[in-house]
Amino acid sequence: MSLEFLNAFKFQKKNTFVHNLDPRVKLLFSIVYSISALLFTEIVPLFIIFLTLIPFILLGRMIKEWIRSIRGLSFLVLLIIVLNTYFLSLGYAIAMIIRISIMITAFSIFFLTVHPNDLALSLVSMKVPYPYAFSFSLAFRFVPTIANEAQNIMDAQQSRGYEMEQKGMINQIKNLFPLLVPLIICSIKRAFNVAEALESRAFGSSNERSYYYTIKYKFKDWVLTFYSLCFFIIIIYIRIQFSLMPGWLTWELIV
Amino acid sequence: MSTEFPLILANDVGYTYPNGSVALKKVNLNIFRGDLVGIMGKNGAGKTTLIRTFNGLIRPTTGSIYINGENIKSKSVGALSQKVGIIFQNPQHQVFSNTIEEEIKFSLKSLNLNKKESQVRVDTILKNFDLDKYRERSPLNLSGGETKKLAVASIFCRNPEILIFDEPTLGQDAKEIEFFINLIKNERKNGKTIIIVTHNIEFAMEFIPRTILMADGQIIADGPTNNILNNEFLVNKTSLILPQVNQFNRALHDIGINCPQTITSKKKMIEFLIAYLKNKSNKGTGENF
Repeated sequence: MSLEFLNAFKFQKKNTFVHNLDPRVKLLFSIVYSISALLFTEIVPLFIIFLTLIPFILLGRMIKEWIRSIRGLSFLVLLIIVLNTYFLSLGYAIAMIIRISIMITAFSIFFLTVHPNDLALSLVSMKVPYPYAFSFSLAFRFVPTIANEAQNIMDAQQSRGYEMEQKGMINQIKNLFPLLVPLIICSIKRAFNVAEALESRAFGSSNERSYYYTIKYKFKDWVLTFYSLCFFIIIIYIRIQFSLMPGWLTWELIV
Repeated sequence: MSTEFPLILANDVGYTYPNGSVALKKVNLNIFRGDLVGIMGKNGAGKTTLIRTFNGLIRPTTGSIYINGENIKSKSVGALSQKVGIIFQNPQHQVFSNTIEEEIKFSLKSLNLNKKESQVRVDTILKNFDLDKYRERSPLNLSGGETKKLAVASIFCRNPEILIFDEPTLGQDAKEIEFFINLIKNERKNGKTIIIVTHNIEFAMEFIPRTILMADGQIIADGPTNNILNNEFLVNKTSLILPQVNQFNRALHDIGINCPQTITSKKKMIEFLIAYLKNKSNKGTGENF
């Protein structure tokens, strides 16, 4: 088992159309897509929503990272298929897989293209107090570090005979303790260290602060904002009028 | 070098991380039963990646590794960890149980020992590591050095044939280092094969007879530690610093005192200096030192 897929949420500096967009519009875009995915449980509309995300992946030149994130979800996909097919239906299971893929892809686009500092700036510009904005961006910046630590913990436990795969649900849950306890403890210790390091550099000593970099909404950001809002309105309209939609859109896999 | 079959044989081993960074390039290596080998090199040289390939945590992208003559390609990490025990740098990555005793017992779980055998092993290891007084204590309340001891104990109790230490002296005080040195000496006497990844050149010079030097994912030197760590070119290439005794030896040469290159330990250097000074005072040259 590898936590490599978490790297799909690690910012990568590139000079593309998507990377150069304002972080606020990308946040709006990701939220719109995630809510849209939650509005449907049918395969066809979900698949269409998913297809509309592909151009953004291509524009952001992040196909490799995106494939890695989707591949990393194979365990979750398997779990969704088994549980949903067993308790509900295969059609519902497929729809749920597409739904989770949309959400992961939308937020991959956001996290892969937004620098943690820009994230803090965008939150501050939305009137979020700086300490909270900074905490959020710090948490975001630590995702790959924690993933790396989790991998090290897994390696350390495996080298003393710990077996990842166990039979039975209870055993599988019990099996998480050797990974989660050290991970939580190391994370708490790191959080204290970071807090001390920040305080020793006078973080929070003054309420007024200036910013070396600033972010500004440009024409292309307005275009994407317009697209996101139109997309959302259309999706809501389709949801409300779903029973009146053409047959191919409301098609369901009955298995 | 021995003519027997190597216990660890790496044949053209290469590894590239999924992000495309090449960690190992055509590594060829023989380690024989009972060897004590040091792996040195600067950060990012591929040392940790190499040791992780020995118990299957990392599968080489090219080449193969043989343990005891068997290709480990199809062996699980669980099966390999019975033969190869790796003690990682950060002991905090292992501890999670309520008590130290349970922590050791967790390591024995996969060995399918009966209750009595398991208890005997736990008692012996806690005694050997001087941890029996903390038996009921939470491992989270131990000091850094004691947690390291516990991490080592939790691998030793499995009795693997090959023991690999990743930076065992890091963050340890002199007494703790001495404890590890004695431990390593004992295990070697018991026929264990020991590999130590370290940056501690004084430690390597004093206790490790063979050193493998790595740079940019390749082995650039493999041989007696004295020869390798006395080679200024190799030492500079791997961002290491010559041991103090060797630096002192060179300084003596620079001022015209012919100190033999074979003197690499503090004890021998002190003996040489005493003999040299006695000799000088007998001749009555009146030089000041």
